[in-house]
Order: sequence, then structure tokens, then C-alpha cells
Amino acid sequence: MSTSATTFVPDAGQPSADHGHHHGHEQSFFFKYIWSLDHKMIGLQYLWTSFFFLFIGGLLAMGIRYQLAYPGVPVPLIGALLPSTVASDGIILPGGYNMLFTMHATVMVFLVVMPLLIGGFGNYLIPLKIGAGDMAFPTLNAMSYWLYVVSGIIILASFFVDGGAAQSGWTAYAPLSSTAAYNNNTQIGQSLWCVGLFINGLSSIAGATNYITTIINMRAPGMTMFRLPLSVWALFLTAWLLILAVPVLSAAAAMLFTDLNFGTTFFAAQGGQPLLWQHLFWFFGHPEVYIMILPAMGLVSEILPVFARKPIFGYKAMVWAMVAIGFLGFIVWGHHMFVSGMNLTLGAAFSVSTMIIAVPSAIKTFNWMGTVWRGSIEFTTPMLFALAFVSMFVIGGLSGIFMASTPVDLFVHNSYFIVAHIHYVLFGGSLFGAFAAIYFWYPKMFGRMMNETWGKIHFFATFIFFNLTFFPMHNLGLGGMMRRIADPTVYEHLRALQPINVFVSWASFGMGLATFIFIWNFIWSLRHGKPAGKNPWNATTLEWTVPSPPGHGNFDVTPTVYNGPYEYSVPGMQKDYLPQNEKAPEGARLEVH
Amino acid sequence: MLRLLPIVLLALLAVAPEAVAEVRESNLYWAPEAATVGAKKVDTLLNFIFYLTATVFVLTQTVYIYYLVKYRKRPGSKAYYSHGNNKLEIIWTAIPTAIFLGLVIYSNRLWAELHSPPPEDSVKVDVVSYQFGWDMRYAGADGQLGKVDVHSYSVDNKFGLVPDDPAGDDDFSSTELVIPVNKPVHIYLHSRDVIHSFYVPEFRLYQAAVPGRTIAWVWFEPTRTGNFELACSQICGSGHYNMKAPIRVVSQEEFDKWQAGKIEAKAQEAKAAADARALRTSTASTHPAGDGPRNEENKL
Repeated sequence: MSTSATTFVPDAGQPSADHGHHHGHEQSFFFKYIWSLDHKMIGLQYLWTSFFFLFIGGLLAMGIRYQLAYPGVPVPLIGALLPSTVASDGIILPGGYNMLFTMHATVMVFLVVMPLLIGGFGNYLIPLKIGAGDMAFPTLNAMSYWLYVVSGIIILASFFVDGGAAQSGWTAYAPLSSTAAYNNNTQIGQSLWCVGLFINGLSSIAGATNYITTIINMRAPGMTMFRLPLSVWALFLTAWLLILAVPVLSAAAAMLFTDLNFGTTFFAAQGGQPLLWQHLFWFFGHPEVYIMILPAMGLVSEILPVFARKPIFGYKAMVWAMVAIGFLGFIVWGHHMFVSGMNLTLGAAFSVSTMIIAVPSAIKTFNWMGTVWRGSIEFTTPMLFALAFVSMFVIGGLSGIFMASTPVDLFVHNSYFIVAHIHYVLFGGSLFGAFAAIYFWYPKMFGRMMNETWGKIHFFATFIFFNLTFFPMHNLGLGGMMRRIADPTVYEHLRALQPINVFVSWASFGMGLATFIFIWNFIWSLRHGKPAGKNPWNATTLEWTVPSPPGHGNFDVTPTVYNGPYEYSVPGMQKDYLPQNEKAPEGARLEVH
Repeated sequence: MLRLLPIVLLALLAVAPEAVAEVRESNLYWAPEAATVGAKKVDTLLNFIFYLTATVFVLTQTVYIYYLVKYRKRPGSKAYYSHGNNKLEIIWTAIPTAIFLGLVIYSNRLWAELHSPPPEDSVKVDVVSYQFGWDMRYAGADGQLGKVDVHSYSVDNKFGLVPDDPAGDDDFSSTELVIPVNKPVHIYLHSRDVIHSFYVPEFRLYQAAVPGRTIAWVWFEPTRTGNFELACSQICGSGHYNMKAPIRVVSQEEFDKWQAGKIEAKAQEAKAAADARALRTSTASTHPAGDGPRNEENKL
């Protein structure tokens, strides 16, 4: 055990000691674990299911990297098991490769990052953090989860239909996606993709409605909007983005479906407009980027103060920066289309809004740095992931400036540079944030701590392999390597870069292996972890005032909130944190802000 | 690594007899050497952004890591209680805003310059993309490209030419893009099926080709001779990875020679076709098949 673990001051006895005592009734297995209406169980269902899809999405990524390192060489071990649409004699087919990256992105975006951050942590934390007994609409909540499962099954099943899964990229640009004759006979797979995303969208919309209603109506007495923890703010704004952006994708998916199956021509070159798809997709797709990063920003903003023992720097600036990101996120979609054939002047306009949206992101970064400034920083595993999140987000943000500059986008568009960029934001950002959150809230969810030593090994392995995997992709992109090509060695100018591709692939395999450390730690700690008690991290927000795991209904007595969420190291106080539901003791010099 | 070797060798052998595109040997961690006037300007901006972002990265991360080390938890250490500082918030909002606005002005100026109307004396090439390849069309002896109807592509009319425009009669086609050095080249981009893109890293140029539309704003001026590869960089189906065409930037003399040869060949071809037609009409019964304008109903 590391030193940090010995400093925990558990202020409650055994884990699960008072589990189930809050409301006397015992539930049957089915109602407790399957059709549960408890936000915590639904949150955990989201968590487990997204872990499963993370595994699938990761495997698909390994397939992509194998092909790019060794094009034309049979996949060892599992090659023979691959569907005939993906590989023949173990050799990945070009169309099969297209399937791999299409489904990797689809799975990671819609079945991993969104459900994990929004479904998992949103459901688990919102009621606990605002002092509510549950979500506003528990049944809708359960339905939202099960719609997600159905969408996942449909999307995975598409690998095994005639023609295989969709292979037009997760962006599904028409008319490649909308015309069966063009897309390598993946009409069924592409149609299932549309259906899957449509149902997934219903799940998101249902969840978002629930979050917004809950946060507006069910806050405990004293929990004003500006006393909300930043994670709740982030999820609140994310829910608004979902409700405004997802229906657009649903409509576009429905149109794509009818183009594919019923002879409509929404996105056809004749009688329709291929660029219409791109406008609709990116009108959803850009807010989507923020849908995936805002919750991670919120969760990280929650973790940094706890381990720096300092209030978050510039709480209101953080809130307004997120509001600005949410708003501006809807007027930057055209930056995906600078070189798509869209009007050139429009491109110039979108480049202005795109540069502007970088400002609130910069503000957030400076405030995170301000938070650790003059703190008393404890490097626990969740803190390490949260700190790394900030740095990785800085790299992802800075590389975005290259694309935001229209003339540079002429060069790096659709190259590996953008693959590097998106993974710094989505993996280094969203997933690092998710890992931080898992290590941080695991004790609350399961009543036990995760193993710190293995946690740190997992962190350093992931951090190093992540950078070895994705940083060289910037170089590949500048070297002129296109994304989404099944075999870079067919190009003269890329053949010299092949050693970098091989290096990147081996680094990614290392990153894949590192994840097993995490899985092992997660499972091992369920039974053998150190008992956590109510508040192992000495944190201030309301979820740490109830037992771990909290009983059905969360709070015996509805808490009353007296303080903001980040009152750490208040001068004139004995202990170095002031929970939100405790009145400041005599002599405490709280700063009014 | 070793398993890869035979493939690389085979692939190298397969292309060896042809004129091989530039092979990169040095400076593999940066962009290939720029080959057009515009590309060099893009590089200046690219380098500017690189140094800017690198500076920001190094500065912020140095400060960040310094804080992490200096303010690590030690026995007796206590955190400083502060909720923030509005003056600082204003400073770190204003400075990035100013930098980004400056950058967007620089970017948009260059963007406008790169997309200014192409010079009159440009070599005009119609580049038609399809699953999975490229067709190039050049103006014939008349120096005029024939008009195109973007909805009338067919097996017999692979450039979608409007039949009653005589300017198109002597246009010649090519499967490689041959262009003279130090002379502006104006590209008309078309697609016969799905969205493709015209991507040449040495030209720092990417432009999507959208079916049903003519993209007429792409032009560039090569600054050095050499062989390059035109790549499709927009996923377009199972053959996407291999959708490429050779680009040869040659001297003006060489280009003239190549063009004259092509024009001559086209004339021969047209003559042969006319002879065959004359023969057909004189021997067979009178039926003016294949002579009339095609796809009349599709004309714009």
C-alpha cells in the first residue's frame, strides 16, 4: 500500500454495514439488478455495459493497428475467427478494415464514452450530489439504459449480417453511405447502423430530459445553482447539448435509412445534396465533441480540489466557460467542412467561431492550474489521472488550432494529424477523466478502495503507452498519411514512414494490455479492497455524507446545504474541509465569492 | 518487422519500372518538402502555429509541473485558501482572445489569397474522380475545355461532356496528372459517384470532390519538377486505400512535347472513329445511331 492510502480517515465502519437499512423492503434479484429503478444501480449498469463495449472497441482498435503495421499478413491467433466480411484466411480485407475503423469509432463514441461518462456517472452522481433521493423519472431512466443496450446489440449484430457492418466511417458521408451500389454491399449493415444510432439517440434524449428535470427541481434546500458541484453543472449543460443536438442526428439517420431502403434521395447527387448530410451530421457532431468532454471536465474539476486541498480556482469562471462552450459548440460545425466543397466565405466565418471557442477551454485550463497552485497536493491514482487529463487536454486543444486555421487545414485535413488530435481529446481527455472518476468514486459505489499500487502502475503504463501511441500520429499526419487507408505501403511517400506505424501499433498493444491491470484491480478490489467508509477522501460534497454504497433512497433525512462545494483548507477551522451540509464553525473565515 | 520485409520488397519491385514518386529519406518527422508557391505559404503559417503552440505548451507545462512538485503534500504543509482572482481571469481571457483573433486574421487572409481567382494563363485540367481512380482531361488544340454536365456521366461519357459544345471534341484524357513547373494550374474537380478528395501532401492541398457539383476554385503553381502521388483522402469505399494517380511536374518544354503528342494522338483517334463511322453508314442501312446528342434530357 502506498503512503497515501494510510492517510485515509474512514469515518464509518464496515462497508455495506447499513446497506438496505434505509428502506426496509428487500427487492428481488430481477428488480434489484435488471429492471432497477434506483439511479445508482442504473448508473452501475451503464458502467458495466460500457466496460464491455470498451473491450470490444479496444479490440477493434487493435485490429486497426495490426493492419496498419502488417498489411496483408494474417492476424495471429484470432485471424481464423474473424467474419468472412472482415478477413479472408486471417488477412484483413480492405472493406473489412473500413468496417473496423467505422465500428471502432461508433462503439467508442456512442457505446463507451457517452454512456460511461453521462449514463454511468451522471446517473450515479447527480441525485447524490444535489441531495435528492433519486432521479425525477426513475422508469424513464431504466428505459434509457435498456434502449442503450438494445442499440449496442443492434450495432454489434451488424457485423454478422449479409455484407457485414457499415464501412463508410463513423461520419457516414453520403452518398457513399446512402447508396448500396457504392458501399460494398453493406446496405443491411449501414441500415442497422442508422437504426442503432436512432435508438441510442432516444436513450440519450430520455436521459437528458431526466437530468435537466432532476437538477432543476430536486435540489436539496440551500443547494443553489452556484453551490452545485462543477460535475453537476457539466452534466446539466451536457444534457442541454444532448437534447438540442441528438434529434438532428436521429433525423439524419432516419433520412439515411430511407435513402438506403425506400428510394428517397435526400443525400443523392441528383435530386438531393450530399453536403446536406455533412451539415446535419456535424450540427450534431460538433456539440457531440463537447458532450463527450464536458462531463470529463466536470469530473476532473471535482477531483483536483480534493487532492490539492484547495477550493477550485474561479468557480464562476468555470461555470461560464462551460456555458460558453455549450453555446459556441453549436456554431462551429462548419470547421469540419472547410475543404468539403462548402462556400469558401462560410469557411472563413466558421474559422472565427472556432478560434473563439478555444478561449473558454483556455480559461478552464488556467483555472485548473490555479487550483493546484499553492495547494497541498496528494498524488493518488484518481489525482494522477485528473492531472494527466489537464496536460493531455492541453495537447489536444493546441493541436486543434492547426485545424482551426483554414490554410493549415488544407494540408492536415483527414490526415493522421486529426487522428492524433481526436484521441488526445477523447482518450487523453474523456477517458482519462473517466478513469480518474472511476478510481475516485469506486469507494462510494462499492464500499471499498481500489488498490493504489496497481492503480498507479495502471496510470503510468496507460499514460506512457498513450503518448507513445498517439503522439507520433501527429508526425505521420504531417508526413502526409491519410486516415482511413487500409494499407499505407501502397503509397511511395508513406513507405518511409512505415517504421513509425509499426512503432505506434506496438505502443497501442501495450496500452491495450495495460487495461487488463485496471480490470484486474477493479474486480480484485470488489472483495479485497480496503473498506472505504463514508468519506475516504475527506471531500465536501453530499455523496460523501452517506454510507458507501448509499442505501436505497440515498439520504435518511434530506440534507440542508450551507456552503459551496469546494471549501477546503478554510482558515480558522480544525479540519481542512467543510462539507456542504455542515454550518461553518465559529471562527471559520469563509471567503464570500 | 521481419515479416513485413518481403511485402515491402514485393511492393517496391511492383512499382520499380514506372517513374517512381518521391521517396522520403530524411526529415521523416516533419512534412515533405513543399512543391508549390501556396504550399510554402501554408508552411510559413504552419510553422508559426507550431512555434506558438509549442511555446504555450512548454510554458504552461513547465509552470504546471513546477507547481506539482513545489506544492506536493509534505508534513505540515497547508494549502492556501483562495477561490480565485478576477484580475487573473480577465488577463487569461483577454490574452488568448487576442492571440486567436490575430491568428484568425492571418489565416483568413492566406485562405482568401490561396482561393483568389486563378490567373488567366493557367493550365486547365478537369480532374474526375471515381471509385477507385482518377481521369484527367486537358483542352485540345483550341485551348478550351468542353462544357460539362455534372449529371450526365456514363460509361461512354466519362467526363460528362455536353455533346453540343464543340470545344469538348478535341479534349484529350490522361490517367496521370502532368503539369508544367512554374506555371499556374487550375483544377476543375468532379466526382462520378461518391465524395472523393484531391490530396497531395507536397502541395499542402486537400479539396473534396462532390458528386453533382463542379469545384472550380482550386489552383496552384508548382515550384519544382518531380514525381508525386495524387491520393484520395476521403473514405470512398473498399478500394479507397489504393485510389491514386501519378503526378508529374515537368519542365515547360517537356510539357509542351507531352501535350502535342496527346493532341496528335487524339486527332488520330478522332479520324479513325470518323472513318469507321463513314464506313458503317455507307455499308449498313441508314440509321444514325450513336451520332445524335446523348442525354439531352439531362442537360442543365
